[in-house]
Amino acid sequence: MTRVNTGIVELDKILNGGFMRGDTAMIAGGAGTGKTTFALQYLVNGIAEFGERGLYVTFEQLPDQIYRDAESFGWDLRKMENENKLMVMCTSPDVLLEPAGKDILGRFIDQIRPSRVVMDSLSHIAMFVPERELRREAYRLLMYLKTKRVTTIATYESSQTGAMSLSATETGLSFLVDCVILLRFVEIESSLRKALVITKMRGSGHDKRLREFEITSQGIKVAEPFTQYEGILTGAPRRSMAEAFTDAFKKQRRS
Amino acid sequence: MNDARKILDRMLSSGIKADLLVLFHKNPGLVDVADGVARRIGRTADTIEADLKDLVDLGILRMEQVGKLEVFLLDHAKDREVQSVIADHIKSLSPSKGV
Repeated sequence: MTRVNTGIVELDKILNGGFMRGDTAMIAGGAGTGKTTFALQYLVNGIAEFGERGLYVTFEQLPDQIYRDAESFGWDLRKMENENKLMVMCTSPDVLLEPAGKDILGRFIDQIRPSRVVMDSLSHIAMFVPERELRREAYRLLMYLKTKRVTTIATYESSQTGAMSLSATETGLSFLVDCVILLRFVEIESSLRKALVITKMRGSGHDKRLREFEITSQGIKVAEPFTQYEGILTGAPRRSMAEAFTDAFKKQRRS
Repeated sequence: MNDARKILDRMLSSGIKADLLVLFHKNPGLVDVADGVARRIGRTADTIEADLKDLVDLGILRMEQVGKLEVFLLDHAKDREVQSVIADHIKSLSPSKGV
């Protein structure tokens, strides 16, 4: 099975080389954790580094706003669109939920022939369908994309409450996707930092450690695992035993 | 009054139409129902419906039936054509510059 590199070096390493081609990955996290930046970088790297065209489907944010946000990372999406390497489609979820709405999406896909698609976000679909139908409708949409042989990232805005929980969504949508990347804010020594963890990857091994990441002027940078702390997702992290012992040893030597 | 002038007058006959033109030009990948379009300019579907239909009539926007829904999108080819007619008209209005 071939892999689709995200182009975010450390992320590709922990995904054992990237997403599996044709799979759907979900990036779930609270507001401001960086879901859209991850998704955009996946498309931009696909175009710039791997010659793979991309389609970005946005339900809420207008393309104009996305172009502007991308510019702050040096990504010129308008130029990519003019070169037929990218398309940004903006619609309401109810259009894609109509059986014939798939034809509109299909027309964009036929026009740009993307290898990578971003659906931003699945949580907006939840605003248009009753909860009991959400899973079925999301499944229909994601399966349609699979028939088009594209590798999809779907974002999902999840609640940050319930710090202990590793569940990406409250609606069972994570069962529909092949890979789940969970983004969280974590508080360490009174500062708010960002962490990610892969909680699911069908048919492949992956690194299960929690890692810090930053949003820099060039995009997302994923760092080494948090080895100095334990219980980060509990909301009350503590120094790991090894770190605590080293600190105590240093203090003992100084006294 | 020539055709270009008539088109221009009709395009700019209301503030809502101007907002719609800006919205679709800045967001050429927008494909939405009247309610979705209206939300994106902070209005309601019933207040923009007539102007949307007028832009469809002018050929700048296209309306398509998607199942039970009517969606609106920019007609890129026709839009370029209209823009070029208007640009020519504006050029013809500007006084020629002497050397």
